[in-house]
Amino acid sequence: MSRKVSSYVKIEGRMRWEAIWVLSKRELLAFVRNKTRIISSIAQALLFLFVFSGGFFSIDISIDGVDVSPMAFVASGIIAMAILFSGVFGGLGIIRDRMFGFMRELLVAPISRRTLMTGKTLGVALQSLLQCLIMAVISVAMGFFGYDPSLIWRIILLMPIALLFSLGVVGIGLTISTRLTDFQSFGLIQTFLIMPMFWLSGALFAFNSVPEIMQIIMMFNPISYGVDIFRYVILGVSFFPLWVNLLVLSAFAAILILIGANSFSNMQIS
Amino acid sequence: MRDYQYNYRNKRENKTKMTENIVEVKNLTKIYDEGDVLAVDDISLTLKKGEIFALLGPNGAGKTTTISMLATLLKPTKGTATVNSYNIDEDPDKVRKSIGVVFQEPSLDGDMKAEENLELHAILYGMSKSERREKIKEVLKLVNLDDKAEMYTKNYSGGMKRRLEIARGLIHNPQMLFLDEPTLGLDPQTRRKIWEKIKQLNEELKMTILITTHYMEEADVLADRICIMDHGKIIALDTSENLKHQLSGDIIEIELENVHNLSMIPQLISQLKEIKGIKDVKIGAKGDQGVADMTMNLPAGMKNMNPQMMQMIQQQMKEIMTDAKKFVRATKKFPMASNFFSRAPLEAKERVANLFKGNKDLLEELPKNMKETILKIQSGEYEEKQKNENPLLTISCENGAKQITEIIQKISNSDNLNIKSVQMHNPTLEDVFLFYTGREIREESSNNTEDVKKLIQMRQLRQNK
Repeated sequence: MSRKVSSYVKIEGRMRWEAIWVLSKRELLAFVRNKTRIISSIAQALLFLFVFSGGFFSIDISIDGVDVSPMAFVASGIIAMAILFSGVFGGLGIIRDRMFGFMRELLVAPISRRTLMTGKTLGVALQSLLQCLIMAVISVAMGFFGYDPSLIWRIILLMPIALLFSLGVVGIGLTISTRLTDFQSFGLIQTFLIMPMFWLSGALFAFNSVPEIMQIIMMFNPISYGVDIFRYVILGVSFFPLWVNLLVLSAFAAILILIGANSFSNMQIS
Repeated sequence: MRDYQYNYRNKRENKTKMTENIVEVKNLTKIYDEGDVLAVDDISLTLKKGEIFALLGPNGAGKTTTISMLATLLKPTKGTATVNSYNIDEDPDKVRKSIGVVFQEPSLDGDMKAEENLELHAILYGMSKSERREKIKEVLKLVNLDDKAEMYTKNYSGGMKRRLEIARGLIHNPQMLFLDEPTLGLDPQTRRKIWEKIKQLNEELKMTILITTHYMEEADVLADRICIMDHGKIIALDTSENLKHQLSGDIIEIELENVHNLSMIPQLISQLKEIKGIKDVKIGAKGDQGVADMTMNLPAGMKNMNPQMMQMIQQQMKEIMTDAKKFVRATKKFPMASNFFSRAPLEAKERVANLFKGNKDLLEELPKNMKETILKIQSGEYEEKQKNENPLLTISCENGAKQITEIIQKISNSDNLNIKSVQMHNPTLEDVFLFYTGREIREESSNNTEDVKKLIQMRQLRQNK
């Protein structure tokens, strides 16, 4: 079968909302049912929280002249990280669908590729949103941001912004996964894509505390703006102006979704 | 097994006459760009409403490609087809809605429950809530999985998965069902169960079913009509009975033993063909095809080469065999050389050994195992390895009882040929298949690409001479 690679016939036509919803629901169900995945992602985030915020206790962090507690600083970065990790790996779930044959069932169905792509993207985005929410609730409950009633509506406000941020991130995962055929490359993606994006996003250290060269590199990393806008919503302070963050994230989401849709549309199945 | 077939055949005769065509295929052709593979070569056929139609052929014959084009998964390179009166190029959406497809590879989501798998399918096919609820219950009952609806499909057995996939293919009330190798890798009991379901669908729901298989008996038991495909072409299309009828008379199989010189066999075959009443003689080996290959000095998979090419290669070989230097050069350019050599008849090996007599320097340049064999032959120590498989002659003749004595006489007249066993039987579908394809069913389609590679190597060899 492996040599029989050829592009499949695509169904053109309208998006079907019910189909989009059932595909998204499938992703959400997969997340909720996979308890090891939830537990391990929470454990990883907690580990980062304790190690990094602990290390930062002696350092004063100030953004825009406002002092920020190291715990609050790192915690907000970790919440943003939840989006990055679960978004990219959720997008990579397509590889699994292709390997176990389920993608074939989706491709013969009388639905357009756009519907398929939208359903998948939305599903993974909601999945990472859920994970982000879990992290936020844990952080608030543990008192990293102090106990302030305004945190409730801050967290609620965070959700639409997290959705915007996750769309771009899911786009990365989708784009990669339509080109990969096996799980072996997962390690490479982890080492050469996700980790650098994470370390250079300012999730764990302050933008203004690093050398200028690193600041420039960080400015080219779209994840930095996601982390920054998360800080703006949760802590009320940010390095970049709000409109810059929103603009960059919107452009990031739009471009990645377009690339993702394009590679999804040209996806081949062996 | 026999009873089973008999029952079905009786039922089949009671069917009303089928006239309406549900699938019409015209000059359908598919060429895969990658590797320039001609997978389906200009086929035309029609399926009648309510019949079970089997595409039978070895792996790589083009069955799956044909079904994929009809299911509008692949675009044909040339030609067209209509399914349920919708054109596959113009209305893929409508074609998809009017057919159910079960793939060769499993395509269930193991992390969802059986019911959820069906639900997702129903929604993708645009069914309303009340409609799908009812239908899911119905199809689950049909495949006897209604009590396992809440199970995750990853915990299903192979047969259950297959049944669920068939059920899924039926949810959206398709007018016909495409089954690509539905019983591949299942145990005999489960296979039988799947067959019963397929029959039941055909009889109770009057469902038209297109099935691909490489199991003879599956096509024989299930199908109203059988289409034998090979190398992307239709080589026979008829009912199982008629196909077998074409090979009227008897099939005699003679197994030879202790055959030392295989080059005698082609001669024997032509002698046997001269006997009156004998229609065809084919050679194969019990358990392996190696013997047939060796008689032709070619590795497996190359028997389908055209005669001209074959002649050129043989001439090439003859030339190489006359000069030790040329021979050495050829072995270097052609990596398969030592493989060829080990398969060559003793006679040829001896000739090569003679070539290198008093030519020790050149001998050193040969691959190690070739060198060792030649040294052994030169010193007279060489013994042809005893092959496990014996040559098997398959003879189709008009009247086996009459001709068998003459055949056996002919064989015993030739020196060194002993008969190990003789069998005579009526033609089976397998004989029909072998008659048309001239070979055993291949297990892997990759042979094809290997053939091409070898051909390219051959060409290079010719150019560099």
